[in-house]
Parts: sequence; structure tokens; C-alpha cells
Amino acid sequence: MFEAIGLSKTYNGSAALHPLNLKIEPGEIFCLLGANGAGKTTTINLFLNFIAPTGGKARIGGLDVVDHSLESKKLLAYIPEQVMLYRNLSGIENLEYFTSLAGGRHSKSELAGFLEEAGLAQADAEKRVGAYSKGMRQKVGIAIAIAKKARALLLDEPTSGLDPKASNEFSALLKKLSGSGAAILMATHDLFRAKETGTRVGIMKHGHMVAQYATSELGHADLERIYLEHMHD
Amino acid sequence: MIFRIARKEMTEMIRDGRFRVSAAIVFALLAGSLLLGWHHYREIRAQHIAAQQATREQWLKQGNKNPHSAAHYGVYAFKPTAPLSLVDHGTDPYTGVAVWLEAHKQNEFKYRPAQDATAVQRFGELTGATVLQLLLPLLIVLLTFNAFAGERELGTLRQLVSLGVKPSDLALGKAVGVAGSLLLLLIPATIAGSIAITMASGGEETAAALPRAGWMSLGYLLYFGAFIGGSLAVSAFASSSRAALIALLGFWMFNGLIAPRAASDIAKSLRPTPSAFEFGQKMELALKNGADGHDPADARNKKLEEDLLKKYKVDKVEALPVNFAGMRLQEGENHGNEVFDHAYADLWSVFAQQDAVHRVLALAAPGLAARSISMGFAGSDFPQHAHFAKAAEDYRRMLQRTMNADLIRNASNTAPYFAGDDLWAKVPAFEYTAPAANWVAAQQTSAFGILALWCCAAVAAAVWTARRMQVY
Repeated sequence: MFEAIGLSKTYNGSAALHPLNLKIEPGEIFCLLGANGAGKTTTINLFLNFIAPTGGKARIGGLDVVDHSLESKKLLAYIPEQVMLYRNLSGIENLEYFTSLAGGRHSKSELAGFLEEAGLAQADAEKRVGAYSKGMRQKVGIAIAIAKKARALLLDEPTSGLDPKASNEFSALLKKLSGSGAAILMATHDLFRAKETGTRVGIMKHGHMVAQYATSELGHADLERIYLEHMHD
Repeated sequence: MIFRIARKEMTEMIRDGRFRVSAAIVFALLAGSLLLGWHHYREIRAQHIAAQQATREQWLKQGNKNPHSAAHYGVYAFKPTAPLSLVDHGTDPYTGVAVWLEAHKQNEFKYRPAQDATAVQRFGELTGATVLQLLLPLLIVLLTFNAFAGERELGTLRQLVSLGVKPSDLALGKAVGVAGSLLLLLIPATIAGSIAITMASGGEETAAALPRAGWMSLGYLLYFGAFIGGSLAVSAFASSSRAALIALLGFWMFNGLIAPRAASDIAKSLRPTPSAFEFGQKMELALKNGADGHDPADARNKKLEEDLLKKYKVDKVEALPVNFAGMRLQEGENHGNEVFDHAYADLWSVFAQQDAVHRVLALAAPGLAARSISMGFAGSDFPQHAHFAKAAEDYRRMLQRTMNADLIRNASNTAPYFAGDDLWAKVPAFEYTAPAANWVAAQQTSAFGILALWCCAAVAAAVWTARRMQVY
């Protein structure tokens, strides 16, 4: 579903991402690990076509994201570190707005169902999001992905700042989505969550993908040790 | 998708306390200005009707006298106030409302309200036009400066673009949303204004004002469209909402406060108008010596006398079968008319050239074009003042011809002559019909063209910058 072929990005002669080759299949959750500035967000932004690649190609569902910018976006959902919503609209109104712009038409009860599936109580769905916690906003972000029936999810440190319970609920939702066939690419600093949620992890450093592992092959301690070894090199 | 975006923009704006407060202030000012305009219009209209009736009565009941004395007794012509002048007083306070029509002279207009204005009134009068030309654009700036820049700072722009929303749809949706919110303000104000005009002038005048109101509304819609498009373009282009706000407020000040004054000064320096003293002196000289300076009054009178004596084959004025004084007076009128036509054509040509300078400057400040359209359709601009002045002058000339013709036909060259009510009644009452809306539209073609250009360019710029804007 996600495919990077020699994908690279340079800013003023300085490489933010060295040529990257990566493939993420439906049902996979690939977690990108690395320090700040390692190239995780650059990779996600390249898949979103928010920035133009210096070299190579990024594909979603076989579509080049530059040549088919709008079509490739129809396949994906994006959940940033902070899902930002319109504070004067309620959760359900925000969901209705975003899904309608993505081409979906849903009844109010269907929308309430998506929010419930994402873990947001019905009473909260009617409240204006100005009063929402970060966790509640992230749930609306997930509900957008559910409503959109996104086959590809790009997540940029989505659990940063969430309490353990909310973070755990969020992971469960991701697993559910991947279980239904979605491919997920998630940038995170959270090694524990990466091991718990991901099917594969990739460690990035100075714009290079320095290592990739299947999470089933590693324990929590192994992942931490390997990660720190790479960071110290 | 555009209307879905527009609907959300309107919902958000209506729920936003800042919009509600600022919209309420603008609405209150607009309603207040219309109320004041209505009061002013009703008062002036009643005064005009009463004064016109009084001057007619005075003319008809002036008693027996020589027709030339009656020609000097003269009449007043009062410029009617157009219904839409309750929205825009235009140049009316400066051009005067009445003109004294008498023998020998094309007088200047009298009774300029600006002369009686207090210092505070001179600082700035609250009219519907002030609200529409100055405060509505400010409201647009406040509603749109963070349309893109704010969404980018908030992070919602990334969310939207990740959904595959076309930036051009986003720009157009936002433009429609802001326009819809403004219409929520303007529609009730327009209905209130229509009721005010109907109450003040009756259904017939209201119906006659409708085409003018339609054209005026079109002008304002283009003006607001230009502001909405331009503000969205700046918001999409600016690095931050703060930078967008500073840039837009700067343009708003230039367009609404600096450009009108600067345009007047530039136009006056490029095409200077003579002072009232210079103008009067030049005209006096021309009346004395002829329009070309080589045709003195004495020589003209002498030639007229010689021609008449020759024509009627008599050797002295007293033997003429027509009244020589009447002939001489009409000859003087004809000569004066030629001088007035020449002098006023020169003066009005300078005004027209100054107006052309304003039009050119409107390419930099659309408010100048909006002002021109607003005054034009309100019936309070200079071309319509000139139209009235021309009608009044035509009436004066007709009145003088009638008096002089009576003298020529009936007065003796040797005995006093008096005319009475029958002659005064032969002169019809002065009635003025303001030009039709199409006449004004023809005058305002270039202003409409400039505003349409501004509107299209601004919306195109909004779409173009939205397509190229940084998502974060």
C-alpha cells in the first residue's frame, strides 16, 4: 500500500531524507523510530505530498503521490501529533465536515456510530471541541479514518502526550484498523507502543533508515537496546 | 464541496463571539446611518417642495411690472434630493442646493450644507456610504485575515489538504462563506433602507429608484468581492496570520483613508481648477469684451442699432416698430449665453479630467471606484449636479427669452411698459427630471470595469495563492 522508491528530500543542500526504499503491505503497522530530525516526519510529509521530493517516488495504492495528489489522498487518513479541529463545531460536526470533504455522505446516526467506534462517548460527540482533551481529539481523528474507510493511515507521533490508558486505547484502535486491512505508517518516539502496536519497526538516523525489524522477533528490552545502540553510533 | 465549505465557514463565524460583536456594531452603524439619512432626506425633500412652491407663488403674484424687472426678480431652482441620497450624500453638501435664475447671469449655486457644518461634522459624517465603503471592508479584513494563515497555524489546513480537498475549492468556499455572512448583515439593512425610502418618498419614487439601487448594489458587491478575494489571497500568501492582518490593515487604510484625499490632491495638482474669484473675473471680462476679447458690448450695441435702423428703413430708434431695449437685452442674453457656455464648458472639462485621474488611481485603490459608483447612483455626484445646473440654466434662458420677446413685441420705444399675471403664467413652473439609471451606468462604465477587474483579479489571486501555499 505504501511504497517509497529511492525517496529523498534535501533542504538547501542538506539531506533531510536519504534515498529510502520501503514497502508497507495492507494489514501492516510500520513504526518509524528515531530522534528528532531523523527524517520520520519528512517521510510522512512526502507521502502526504505536503513537500515535494528531491528524488525518487512515493506511492500509495500504486499511485504516485505527486502525479496523483488528489486520488492518492482519497485512500489515506492522516493523524498528526495533535488532531486539530474547529473549536466552534462539535465533535460530530467536525467529523461530518471532514468526511463530507473527503466525499462521504453519512447520516447523523452513522457519524455517531463512527465516533463511538473510535471510543468517543455520544454525550461528548455533541460538545464543541473547544472543550476536548487531546485524547478526545485523537479519537475524532480515528473516527475520520473509520468513516473514510481509509486503506492507508499516516500517523505522526499520535500518542505523544496521551496518558497510558488513552494511549493503550489508541493502539487497540490501530490494531483494529490494520486488522480490517489498512496499512499504517506511524512515526513515534514511544518504543513500548511501537513494540506493542507495530508489526514492523524501522530505525531512522540522520535521514537514513538504518535498521528494520519485525516486532515479533524482538522483546521490549531488545528493541530498546538496539535503538539505543543505533543512537550512540 | 464549495458550498459545504462555505456552510461550515458561516456556521463557525456565526458561533464566533468576535464576529457577532463586530457584525452587531457594523449593523448598528449601518442602521443608524440609514435612519439619519432617512431623516435628512425627508427633511430636505419637504423643504425643497415647500421652497419650490413658494418661489413659484412669488413669481406668479409679483404684480404688474416691466418684463425686464421681472427677469431680474427671477426665480429660484431647487435641486431635488434623490431617494438614494439617504445612503450617500456625495458632493451635495459642497455643490449647493439652489440656484438663483435671473437676467444676464448664470449664477453659482447657493446654500452649501458644508458651509454650515460644525467642526465635528467636517471631520466625517456617518452615512450608509461610509459604513459600506469603510467599515464593511474592515469587517471583511477581520473575518478573512486568518482564513488560511490561521488554519495553517492551527493545523487544520494539513487536515483539510490530507483529505484531498482542492485548494481552489477551499479558497472559493471560504469566499462564499464570508460573502454569505456579510449578506446576513446586508439583506436586513437593504430591506430597512427600502422601507425608509418608501416611507419618505412614496411608492412611485421608490419604484423609480429601484434600477439605481440595483446598479449601486452591483457596484458594492464587486467592491466587497474584491476585498474578500484580496484578503484571502493575502491570508494564503502570508507567513503568519499576524503578517496577514498587518498587510491587510495597511491596505485598508490606504484604500479608505489615504487614497481619497491623495486622489483629490493629485487630480487638483494635475488638472488645477480656478478659484471662484478667478473664474468670476474671467467671466466678467468675457462678458464685457466678448468671449474672444475682441467684441466689446458698446460695439455690439452700436452694430445692433445700425442693423435694425437699416432693416426697418428708419433713421432713429424711437421710430422702430419693435422695442429696441428688448432687442438689445436679448442680444445681451445671447452674448452672455455664449460666454457662460464657454466658461462653464472649460470648468466642467477640468472637473471631468480630475474625475478621469480618480478613475486611473482607482486601479490602485478600488474604494475610489466604489465611491464614484455609489455617489453616481445615489444621484449626488458632480455629473448629476451639472445635469441639474444645465436644466436650470436652460429654464433661465427660456424665461429670459419669454420676457424679452414680450418686450420686443409689446413695449413702446417712447413710453413705459408694464406686463401682468398673464405673462408670468406663460412661463411654466420649473420641473426637473433626474437622468435615468442607464445614463448614470454609462457614466460609470469605467468605474464598473475597474471594480470588475479588481474582483476577478482578487478571486484569481486567492485561488492561485491557495494552490501554491505552504501547508505548514
